[in-house]
Amino acid sequence: MQRRDFLLGAGGLVAASSLDPAFGFEREGNRRILVFSGNQPVPILDPHQRYDWSTRMMQRCLYDALVRYDGTPARVIPWLAESWETSADGLTWTFKLAAAAKFNNGDALDAEAVRFSFARGLRLNKGISWMLSRHLKPEKIEALDARTVRFTLERPYPDFIAFLPLWFIVNPKQVLANVDGDDDGQKWLTANAAGSGPFRIRRWDGQTVMSLEAVPEYWKGWPMAEADRPAGVIFRVMRESAPRKAALQRGEVDIAAGLTPDDLEQLERVPGMVVTNDPGAAPFFIMMNTQKGPTADLNLRKAIAHAFDYDALITIHKGDARLLDGPFPVVTAGRIALDMPRRDLDKARAFMARSATPQGGFELEYLHVAGHEVQRQIGLVLLNALQPLGIRVNLVGQPWPTLIGRGANPDTAAAMTAVYVTPVTTSPDTVASQYASSAAGQFWGIHHLRDARIDAMVAEAAVELDAPKRREMYAAIQRRVLELQPAVFCMTANQRWAMRNYVRGFANQPLNLTGEVDLFPLYAARG
Amino acid sequence: MLRYLARRLAYVGMMLAGLVLITFVISNVTPADPAALAAGPDATPEMVATLRREYGLDRPLPQQFLRYADDLLHGRLGRSIQSGNEVAQDLARYVPATLQLVILAMGFACAVGIPLGMLAAVRRQSWLDHGIRVLAVSGVALPAFWIALLLQLVVAVWWGWLPTGGMLSIAADPPPTLTGMVLFDALLAGEWGTFLDAARHAVLPALVLSLPCLASVLRVNRAEMIEVLGSDHITAARAHGVAPGRLVGRLALKNAMLPTLAMIGLRFGWMLGSTVLVETVFDWPGIGLYAVNSAIAADFKPVMGVTLVIGFLFMLSNLLVDLAYGWLDPRTRGA
Repeated sequence: MQRRDFLLGAGGLVAASSLDPAFGFEREGNRRILVFSGNQPVPILDPHQRYDWSTRMMQRCLYDALVRYDGTPARVIPWLAESWETSADGLTWTFKLAAAAKFNNGDALDAEAVRFSFARGLRLNKGISWMLSRHLKPEKIEALDARTVRFTLERPYPDFIAFLPLWFIVNPKQVLANVDGDDDGQKWLTANAAGSGPFRIRRWDGQTVMSLEAVPEYWKGWPMAEADRPAGVIFRVMRESAPRKAALQRGEVDIAAGLTPDDLEQLERVPGMVVTNDPGAAPFFIMMNTQKGPTADLNLRKAIAHAFDYDALITIHKGDARLLDGPFPVVTAGRIALDMPRRDLDKARAFMARSATPQGGFELEYLHVAGHEVQRQIGLVLLNALQPLGIRVNLVGQPWPTLIGRGANPDTAAAMTAVYVTPVTTSPDTVASQYASSAAGQFWGIHHLRDARIDAMVAEAAVELDAPKRREMYAAIQRRVLELQPAVFCMTANQRWAMRNYVRGFANQPLNLTGEVDLFPLYAARG
Repeated sequence: MLRYLARRLAYVGMMLAGLVLITFVISNVTPADPAALAAGPDATPEMVATLRREYGLDRPLPQQFLRYADDLLHGRLGRSIQSGNEVAQDLARYVPATLQLVILAMGFACAVGIPLGMLAAVRRQSWLDHGIRVLAVSGVALPAFWIALLLQLVVAVWWGWLPTGGMLSIAADPPPTLTGMVLFDALLAGEWGTFLDAARHAVLPALVLSLPCLASVLRVNRAEMIEVLGSDHITAARAHGVAPGRLVGRLALKNAMLPTLAMIGLRFGWMLGSTVLVETVFDWPGIGLYAVNSAIAADFKPVMGVTLVIGFLFMLSNLLVDLAYGWLDPRTRGA
């Protein structure tokens, strides 16, 4: 190659590199559009059919609820409801709606809309209905006047209010106008919205891109200065962590969830990038099969819990995790700190000696989600930790559907299964119920624990109205759970997002699910 | 020829029936419970039962299979339990995106692979030939996933020349739908800005998807060209003073193209299957990404639908190759 050809080629490369100045914001007019990226699609928007972190994040943009969670620790604050009161017997809850509330199409958001939405949620028997179906019947919801709605529960349930942030209100007129046969509008609400939230749908492909535009006249008002209000938000689904990180670095994405610890560590060093690091709320457990196999032996479970290397959990998370100090997550009302098992081989051997298999010499399966590197590393820690007890550990990675499919039955459940259990509310009843016999078959009940005392305590505590007494009941449940050791209670990893440094308004809320962010207060700083 | 065609079509029918049976069985022997997953992590047994009823999953398996087979005969592919959408409608939306990618990748593989194969054959055992062969081996040997991530990092992040993924800029509005393939739709609508945007988004995924095919085309074309260039009729033509360009570009290439065309036909079906990986890395909204999202959620009807579509197109491309062979060489019709 001649020098002239080389210089021409090099010049071409330089020219080509300047064709796309990349690094910039998405814009509409003089307003910016924030781009969020996560790994999970949103197949259904209907707030009464489904919720998971990505779905709920979009639902919160499009709909409002009577109340919402705010702050750390999470507390319930008024939203559509400006006030509420409870009867002395705990059966009746009456909510007064905000006078300004209206749907995005201009229709009034009144008590009838609230009644319709709750009744629809219960009737469909999908998604959120489990939260209230045992306590509330559709016919016991009354619109007393345009702004007052009353719920009469089947039995006292102090946790009722804790679930309401997840019950979004739909516009009955829009839903009824789009009913297909007897589907209650489900088909239409899959990719359309009938809400009152701060955003409306601009373009929708639940698999890759969901583009929302801001509602300038949002009834609740915007938290930022009018000049800073974004034109909209876009949720870009990117399956793999590496491309998500690349898009963030290139400026195609403003904020990203679900990045690996290694990616986050690298991004922390990139100029113009901010990586959050807030305490999380989803505990990680190694659930043990309490019904079948060697782990059905309480002493063996105790031995495993005392042999496990808990400090290694913090190392795996590069310091961004906290060890659990009780069976209940940090966000749960009535949680108490207990004296938890920590690595103590003498104690572990003592429990082992009392077990039916004091010499060990057997193998236990540790089942984790295939491809989940953190869970696999925790398995390696377990493998090393149990060697002194003569227990071999077989690490098996399987897809999540297979994992929970196996866990549904004690005969097929692994001896030890890696599980994160994300709390969706502050309700202690929900968490305590995870250790009741009725939990068996659910993914958070892979331990298949069956204890009559816990069952009775959970049932009694759920309806107890006297707050101090109730707290004591839940404390007793937590102590009993620890006594039965259905799991190795591991840690809560910090919640971490990476974002460009111009993103403002981000506030971590521990009750956000997995990668969920409240997009409403976010905006891009000018300048 | 008609009898030959009828026999081949019968084979395709039988293979499709087998594919339906196999995908159905595989989907149902996995321990995953699609209804439990779709109902959500906190769903009660009653909620899961509601979904099972709604989607007919509470019926005995033979009954479910017969119902599925009946649906297929009526052009229905079932409903996704995750979204409630008709799988056929979803596929109608996502197949054009995948076809666009495959067409571009195939076009690139042919446009580069055939000339390079010729060049390597003509300059056999030269440094150029060795270099081209290294390229061919790399195209087959290097994992597409790795190449995709590397290109994303270098071309998109470091150099900033091309976007990291997607089919269009996310804030851009797609062109009016004619074919469903945004690149061609933008061209047909005369929306040049959108066309350029779509083209820039297509470069990296199409390049990655094309590499194994390019390598195969190159290798086959090189080998065939070497054989043809050494044949008697080429030697005779050379002796008669036929110009080297005409000798290679017309006479030799024409004879060497038959196996290359067969390879292209086979690779077309293979490429459809490979889109699963490429579409996942580049967030390309085609059937590959659709299959991955569905598989992760144990949503089997879409997975079965994608498998059937890919299987059908694979068989169709094979059939066309067979027919072309049968037409060009009647001796193969009885094989």
